[in-house]
Amino acid sequence: MNLRGEYKLAKKDREDIFEIRWKTDLPYKYSIGKLSVKFFEVLKKERKLLGSKCPECGKVHFPPRGVCAECVVKMTVDDMVEVPPRGTLVGFTVINYPFVDPQTGGMRPFPYGYALFQLDGTDTYTMHFLDEKDHTKMEIGQRVEAVFKDEMEGNLGDIPYFKIIKEG
Amino acid sequence: MKKVAICGIAQTKYEEQKIDLTISELVFEVVKEIHNKLNISNDDIGCVISSSNDFNDGRTIANMAIQDAVGSVRKAESRVSGDGAFAYVYGAMRILSGEYDTVLIVSHTKCSEGDQYLINNSIFDPFFQRHLGLDQISAAGLMANMYMTKYGISEQQAAKVVVKNRKNAMLNPYAHLQQKVSLEDVLESPMLAFPLKELEFPPFSDGAVAMLIANEEKAKELADTPVWLEGYGSCTDAYYLGHRNMSDLVGLEGAAKEAYKMAGISDPVNQLDVAEVYDAFSTHELMSYEALGFCEKGQGGNFIDTGATELEGSIPVNPSGGVLSSNPTMANGLIRVAEIALQLMGKAEKRQIADANIGLANGMNGICSQGNCVLIFGGGK
Amino acid sequence: MPEKVGIVGIGQTKFTSKRRDVNIPEMVYESVKMALDDAQLEPNDIDAILIGNMDHFEGINFSEMWCGIDAAPGYMKPVVKIATGGTTGSSLGICGYYNVASGIYDKVLVVGWEKLNEGGATTGIITAFDPVWERPSLAGALGPLALMANMYMNEFNVSPETAAMVTVKNRSNAANNPFAHLQMPNITLDYVMSSQTISYPLRLHDCCPQSEGACAVIYANEKEAKRITDNPAWFHSVATSHYYTFGCDDKMYDLPTATFASKKAYKKAGIKDPIKDLDVAEVYEPTSWAELSWTEALGFAEPGKGGNLLREGISQMGGELPVNPSGGVLSTNPIGATALVRIAEAAIQVMDRGEKRQVPDAEKALAMGFGGSLWTELAILGNEPPR
Ligand SMILES: [Zn+2]
Repeated sequence: MNLRGEYKLAKKDREDIFEIRWKTDLPYKYSIGKLSVKFFEVLKKERKLLGSKCPECGKVHFPPRGVCAECVVKMTVDDMVEVPPRGTLVGFTVINYPFVDPQTGGMRPFPYGYALFQLDGTDTYTMHFLDEKDHTKMEIGQRVEAVFKDEMEGNLGDIPYFKIIKEG
Repeated sequence: MKKVAICGIAQTKYEEQKIDLTISELVFEVVKEIHNKLNISNDDIGCVISSSNDFNDGRTIANMAIQDAVGSVRKAESRVSGDGAFAYVYGAMRILSGEYDTVLIVSHTKCSEGDQYLINNSIFDPFFQRHLGLDQISAAGLMANMYMTKYGISEQQAAKVVVKNRKNAMLNPYAHLQQKVSLEDVLESPMLAFPLKELEFPPFSDGAVAMLIANEEKAKELADTPVWLEGYGSCTDAYYLGHRNMSDLVGLEGAAKEAYKMAGISDPVNQLDVAEVYDAFSTHELMSYEALGFCEKGQGGNFIDTGATELEGSIPVNPSGGVLSSNPTMANGLIRVAEIALQLMGKAEKRQIADANIGLANGMNGICSQGNCVLIFGGGK
Repeated sequence: MPEKVGIVGIGQTKFTSKRRDVNIPEMVYESVKMALDDAQLEPNDIDAILIGNMDHFEGINFSEMWCGIDAAPGYMKPVVKIATGGTTGSSLGICGYYNVASGIYDKVLVVGWEKLNEGGATTGIITAFDPVWERPSLAGALGPLALMANMYMNEFNVSPETAAMVTVKNRSNAANNPFAHLQMPNITLDYVMSSQTISYPLRLHDCCPQSEGACAVIYANEKEAKRITDNPAWFHSVATSHYYTFGCDDKMYDLPTATFASKKAYKKAGIKDPIKDLDVAEVYEPTSWAELSWTEALGFAEPGKGGNLLREGISQMGGELPVNPSGGVLSTNPIGATALVRIAEAAIQVMDRGEKRQVPDAEKALAMGFGGSLWTELAILGNEPPR
């Protein structure tokens, strides 16, 4: 824990101006909820994806979550349904600028493909990395598939990215 | 003024760590309970005002996480970044403007998810105060020492606040800490920031509170025992601790004066039946007695000695057990409001004060009562 | 009884990428002092202070407790902070409206600020999103905004040149606004089109800058407003529409919340045809593409036809409904102040105080805030009190 700021003298025009630098990082432990716990358990053990289906309106949410915003009703682990690891590309971009990743405190490597997909049988879109850095090779409507790691650990890193696939 | 009514209240049990619930799920618990208790659906709610703090939630725009849970899709929601009592005030303003019939007020904190020392240290300015390692505990020690020295308050008198509030908490099923403590327990607990000891500080809690407020017409439909806003005042003390009068809560005093004026209160001890105050540490409650005019300046210690603030006293303070028993930080002010509403509705069960008709609640932002709001409620039964 | 609410004083700092010469409260004070002087009020005339700022961007928790006292005249007065991300300024402006409309306070000072170079906006914005599902791939606000642009261009077959016209309009408008950050009187379509692609299809000049600065606005009830100035800007309606926690749950090219909020705001303000009934609009466009889509959602054009507003000159200065005479967000983006600047600039227009950026005979103006997970907030201001 470093609470001492680091003073830095910057020169600008005729004035000497002080800046004070803080490098305190604020750690958190976020509860992920029972649905996400089950999601990662099943992902690790069975290499399957689960969404949550609203018991009232039937909307299938991916990623799974505890409340259906439309109906304002609770979804539980009993409302989780399997969704295929395949879907359709609905929007994409290629991130091509530098920034600090708050999870690591270091710079996030770029460029990288970043996209929205609709997994088959779900009623929401979801965002993730796409294994493609050339936007001319991407098209809305393309089929995509989740790529799983060989050794699953039970976190989102088990799905490092989605890839564009051709279905015959 | 029968214009803004509290119609329904929901609280979670306050606990050390609700590890199985996301913040959204935690908030949903109280939202759904409001629906169920009042037999309404999400469509009956005009808009939502939430209270939360980005540092506590570890999330910028912390209210984004609870949109689904508060049912605000396509609807108006806004967020007071700070204590829940201020969110209540904003909700009441929306009712008074005539533009909304009902407003849902929600506040939450999961203290277990963040580093409370770093979060509170970040309240201090980064040039002069933050380096000193100040947080709410060390600032409280400073304040308590100055107050106790100036007015000759004893450690025993301060400890009595803890004994009283922890005893009351035994009667409150929602309270986090439900073990009785003795005067000796408090006095012998480890010193955290002289002169304050460990038991003179609250725990850190996870929890949420929600309430539905309405205008007069809707309140008649929704509630048998609506609780009416009678008075409101808000006042902010200086920022730098060195600029403040650390032995008196001048901000709280200013807020109380305004609220009393609006509610027509000239003799608080006789006119008020019950109070829920923001007791951030033991002597803070004694200082609050003085600022709220329950006793003269410097008499907070003698006032608790008279037993006036006990459950059966002339002005029971914190029958819920107060912040010293449950401390989901941003929700504290709204819990005070909720507990007063329960008292005036006659629904406070084992902690009920007999014949409670007028009550006071106060909320606080920042450190050691810097930002204050005082609310007076009436009606109920 | 509900009170009518007027804006009676405005202060803005000159927005710029870095204010090395002042610290946070000093910067905020500049705008507060300007607003007080503008309304010819003393600090003690103000009943309550509302502060807008995103704590995480600069790393100051309870920043209102600092700025409310050391920058604004909040000592021994109510000070409250409103923080809702990009919409902070509009949430703040709307909260100021309710503080007065409720009859609780007569005169309220609202001030929004950001000193973005003191922290990290992209890093801060990432933490607005779900830690499990969204943060790993999210790249601040620009990533989702690029997805929106991508989905919009695909849905309506709109060209990048059409979007670039928005930047050209807004940054050349900014040259008429002494407070704007990026002022480019001679900007060309080529200049925008030849800038680097930073997040396809967004080029550098399709995107807003990061600005430092503060904006303060003084609100008063009818009695006080008429006493303070001959021409207050009057609130005719305000509206907010929020959306799913996961903003990307739904298609993102048509901003449904702007449609919901505008229906409500127009109804209360008696706006039937926004192009005819509004005289000027200050729209919260974080990207060039966004202005196309947002103006459609606000009913200024049919879906996918936002570009026609530019080509036909409707949204240009001198057109039927000039959009962002101030230069908009593409020229200036101090997040906690940005949407309040929209309200302030809309007020400046109906007060007929826009000088070089003034739209002639502006009687009704719309101000928009955008933020969170696709949220919209609106205020409609007029030069006459509402009936
Ligand atoms: Zn549903």
